[in-house]
Amino acid sequence: MVYANNYNRSARLLAIATVFWLSAHGIASAEKVKLSPDSWGIEGGKACIDCHEKASPGLTRQWQDSAHAEAGVNCLDCHQANTVEDDAITHEGSVIATIVSPKDCGRCHTLETSETQNSVHSQAVALLDSKIPGLAQQLSGKALISAGCTQCHGSTVEVRGDGTLSADSWPNTGIGRINPDGSRGSCSACHSRHQFSKAQARTPEACSWCHSGADSPDDEIFNRSKHGILFNTHRAEMNLDSDSWVTGSEYIAAPTCVTCHMGESPGVKGSHDVGMREAWSLNGPVSEEQYLVIFDDGERRELPVSQQVPRRGSELSRLDGKAGKVKAVASPKQRRQAMSKVCIECHSKTFTAGFMHQFDNAIKYYNTSFGGPAQAIMQALYDQEVLSKTPFDEPLEFTYWRLWHDHGTRFRHAAAMAAPAQSSWEGIHQVAQAFYGSFLPQLRELVGEERAKSLIDNFTPSPGQTSAAIDSTPTPLVGYGATRP
Amino acid sequence: MINLPVFITRHVLIALLLGGLAGILFVLSLIEFDHLTGSEEFCTGCHSMELVAAPYRKSKHYNPASGVRASCGDCHVSDGVLAATWDHILGGKDLFAQLFGADYDDPVINALHLPEAAFAARRWFKKEDSATCRRCHTLEAINGSRANTLLIHQQEAQDKSCIDCHYNLVHRLVPEERTFKRDRWNRMIEREFDLPTGKADELLQQ
Repeated sequence: MVYANNYNRSARLLAIATVFWLSAHGIASAEKVKLSPDSWGIEGGKACIDCHEKASPGLTRQWQDSAHAEAGVNCLDCHQANTVEDDAITHEGSVIATIVSPKDCGRCHTLETSETQNSVHSQAVALLDSKIPGLAQQLSGKALISAGCTQCHGSTVEVRGDGTLSADSWPNTGIGRINPDGSRGSCSACHSRHQFSKAQARTPEACSWCHSGADSPDDEIFNRSKHGILFNTHRAEMNLDSDSWVTGSEYIAAPTCVTCHMGESPGVKGSHDVGMREAWSLNGPVSEEQYLVIFDDGERRELPVSQQVPRRGSELSRLDGKAGKVKAVASPKQRRQAMSKVCIECHSKTFTAGFMHQFDNAIKYYNTSFGGPAQAIMQALYDQEVLSKTPFDEPLEFTYWRLWHDHGTRFRHAAAMAAPAQSSWEGIHQVAQAFYGSFLPQLRELVGEERAKSLIDNFTPSPGQTSAAIDSTPTPLVGYGATRP
Repeated sequence: MINLPVFITRHVLIALLLGGLAGILFVLSLIEFDHLTGSEEFCTGCHSMELVAAPYRKSKHYNPASGVRASCGDCHVSDGVLAATWDHILGGKDLFAQLFGADYDDPVINALHLPEAAFAARRWFKKEDSATCRRCHTLEAINGSRANTLLIHQQEAQDKSCIDCHYNLVHRLVPEERTFKRDRWNRMIEREFDLPTGKADELLQQ
């Protein structure tokens, strides 16, 4: 209870309750649908199939192979709409909507829907709007927004006055999609339509649809980690189609993304709210440990530990900026405990603690040596108006971006997932080169030797390369800094 | 010499002959009239219809691969002199509305009233069992370019009329009546013509 010590008794109780909630009881598992089979299989929906078997055989056959078809859930069960809904259209005599939102899925899958509705995943649009507005506009071009950004984060689906969906916002299967009915997210981001397979969502590939590339290079990292190697070797033994999928009992061959970040393990209930077990934020210029704040309506947000821990009942802004009332807060330590519980299904406690020690040290090293100094120097340059406020219009901004985003993110994610070649050569090695080889020289060029020195002295713990301790003579033959061949 | 009844006098014969000729001329002129008033040139003589015709000129019915162009009357006027004439008499109310009704020549007014016109047209097609479609399209002969098009038209299209499935083919897209939302339509038109919110409702009231 690192944090509870600093607060009063009620805060301590709250923290205990939260650990309890995070690790064992609070998060219910992905329960089976409770509705009776009489509740689905709308008669009118059966007629859809005759025509769609011919008009769109691909999607119809996918559905025929699905658990939905097996249970008798037909087209209309999901697509049926009310005439007053904005995106309701009349199709062959039935009133339907093209988009099946989480709210629609929630007609049966109530628990999964409530878990995703409140998750940080489902708020990916707000994250996109607040974090990198400059990226698409200044760098990649506006066309990227529809074809790139919002395909993962989700679009705000626009229904025109004639009931059609604007092509800029649809098709879209982003995880935080804002649907015409106001719900957030898209179940088919992970469970592709029209098969909606559990197995698919359990594979790393389902996640790497978005979690690959510079912003979130988890696909490459996982595949170069021991976990990934095991998965690729033993894929056939993963029991991916199993109804229940508990680590250690239904499968033992390898963990996937789901296993650690949302899956069920003994003592750790699974949840469709992905990301509750992450103690660190690994996606900014500087990493911070983070609270998970749960609002009274169940919605969540991350909060860096540098900010005051919010008390129960106090007000805090949500990710979209609106005020919310805090119901519970999970500390980074509690989140780490939940994650570690998954690890010990296959590793010893000592092994797990040792790994976490290596991981934490790597993040702290990055923070103090590269991310922190670079961020502080950039802030000073913006404050002193050496750099314009416009993002991505000066060379130093590009270098800074490469440093913390492209290379820094890869380093930190690789450290988190134990992919050594990714964390070293593709990670910190690139960070260091960007810092010493580009960032600092560009800084000197921009503000002059003297001013640069004062900035570096101010913000860098060890200005320049501290090579005094290394007993080596630069040898051009084998490369600089190498010991004798 | 044929013995005609006594009341068939020479004058009666002349009258019958002239009357007959006039009748033939009348029917012929009706045919001509129906033909002429079903043409694109005639229909788009009013500016309001020009607005409706603009999307038509981009449609498959105007520019089909086959080169068989459907003109306004081909779809919107029934077959046969009597039915065609009757349709034109009914259509006279459109002329009346054009002259004495709202300013349909104004693109905004036109777009605001379009849905009701579309609904009426669809009702008419439904009532006529899509007869004008079937002037050119024969259900049994619809092969399409995909294998299943033929099958769908043989199996799923039974007991259905063309218009049941095929609408929004030619003119500006209007939702089906049950899912049409006047409020959202008005907002769309306002955005399209850069009008303040509520202006469309005001214009419709007039």
